[in-house]
Amino acid sequence: MTGQFRVLALLLTAAALQATVFDEIRIDGVSVEYLLLVSVLAGFHGGPERGATVAFLAGLLHDSVSSTPLGVHALVYAPLAAVAGHLSVRLVDGARALALAGLAGSVMVGVAIAAGVGALFGLHPVSGVDLVSTATIAALATVTVAGPTSRVVRWAVTGGLPVDIDLTEGASAERTSSR
Amino acid sequence: MAATRPTGGLQPTLLILIVVALTLLTLQYRGFEPLSAFQRGVRDVIEPLRAVTGRVVSPARSVWNGLLDYDDLRAENERLTEELARMRGRRLTAEADGELLERLLGEVGIDFADLETVVVRILGTPPGNFSTYTIEVDKGSDDGLAEGMPVVTGAGLVGRLESVDRARSVVRLAVHPDFRVGVRLVGSQDEGLARGGGRSGFLVIDAGVRADAVVEAGEVVVTSGGRSRFPADIPVGRVLVPGRADDFQREIVVEPSASLENLSFLNVLLVTEERTSDPSVLLDPGERSR
Repeated sequence: MTGQFRVLALLLTAAALQATVFDEIRIDGVSVEYLLLVSVLAGFHGGPERGATVAFLAGLLHDSVSSTPLGVHALVYAPLAAVAGHLSVRLVDGARALALAGLAGSVMVGVAIAAGVGALFGLHPVSGVDLVSTATIAALATVTVAGPTSRVVRWAVTGGLPVDIDLTEGASAERTSSR
Repeated sequence: MAATRPTGGLQPTLLILIVVALTLLTLQYRGFEPLSAFQRGVRDVIEPLRAVTGRVVSPARSVWNGLLDYDDLRAENERLTEELARMRGRRLTAEADGELLERLLGEVGIDFADLETVVVRILGTPPGNFSTYTIEVDKGSDDGLAEGMPVVTGAGLVGRLESVDRARSVVRLAVHPDFRVGVRLVGSQDEGLARGGGRSGFLVIDAGVRADAVVEAGEVVVTSGGRSRFPADIPVGRVLVPGRADDFQREIVVEPSASLENLSFLNVLLVTEERTSDPSVLLDPGERSR
């Protein structure tokens, strides 16, 4: 299966999950931001550029399933994935708690910015306490499904191959990401 | 062999993606139909999955909601019990009110109940976390529904269809802050523009009504019709706060006649072709002036 097909399969599955299972199970009316999770993880595992491209497509799918103007989520997810990709290379392998905290923070920021951008383009703005509450619950709910999703996203965007090669220490020093 | 983590070409790529996203947003904001068709297509493809998932997950969701919302359900049960007792006590008053409403509506020849309708079932909120003041219903274009059609209950206006897919539609509730409807005060015959009051749960008439118009609490408010997307004389509610007659920016608060909570079924008014064929007709006065 080529890289493009893997990513396509990942995105379609994620969109279907977002619109079905995660739409049905809500906490205080707030659902898991699964496509946002996939976007951040794509940046985390695939690097800024590949992550931004995958996140852009994930954003378009999110806009389609949630009936928001096409481009609102794509506009937010792509830069967020790029930032996640940049930050991930600075993260020490094995810093799992830090990675989870960063993931939760990314989801909160993504939800908040998406609300802001949506308001600019005609969506009813959610602000103040409601926005903080929604973003927090969404982040916590999303982190709970991050583990298995992370492995799938890594497989899709890297093909299961190691992400980085440290050429200075020879071929044996390939750093196979365990994240 | 290992996959590389490219970073060098990011800035142009990200810039292109952002420009594309902004272009798509601009095109859709201007009503570029292929983009809406693409979105509808995606939703239609996913729809069978959603229907199956809804049925499969339903029992689990009931348990889940029961666990999470137990206190809310108990409080609601108590509230409904109290409400029932109060309603029994007020039955005579309600009957009198009903007769008064019927008489008032009859005086202006209200016939919205005679319009052709499609009964729809409420499914819940649309996907996503920012679907406030909107609900999803179980019928779409396959059943003759179209965007802009008014949604009512026997008691009056609930909202209008915001987006319509083949098998589902999204209703924008009348209390949505961006909801606009032309209204007429039955007593004074003044016409104005009402908007959704958001969290207050009311509608607010803040334009069109003369500053010196005599408006009384309890006065019936109906849709004004004319060039509005809504047929005339659909009950909207009753005046709750008439506002000060000498106030330059007078706001008349209207309590919706149709309860917007605990709804299960709604009626969509199948507005005739003549009314919807001209796009400008679909706009209310406030939206036309934008």
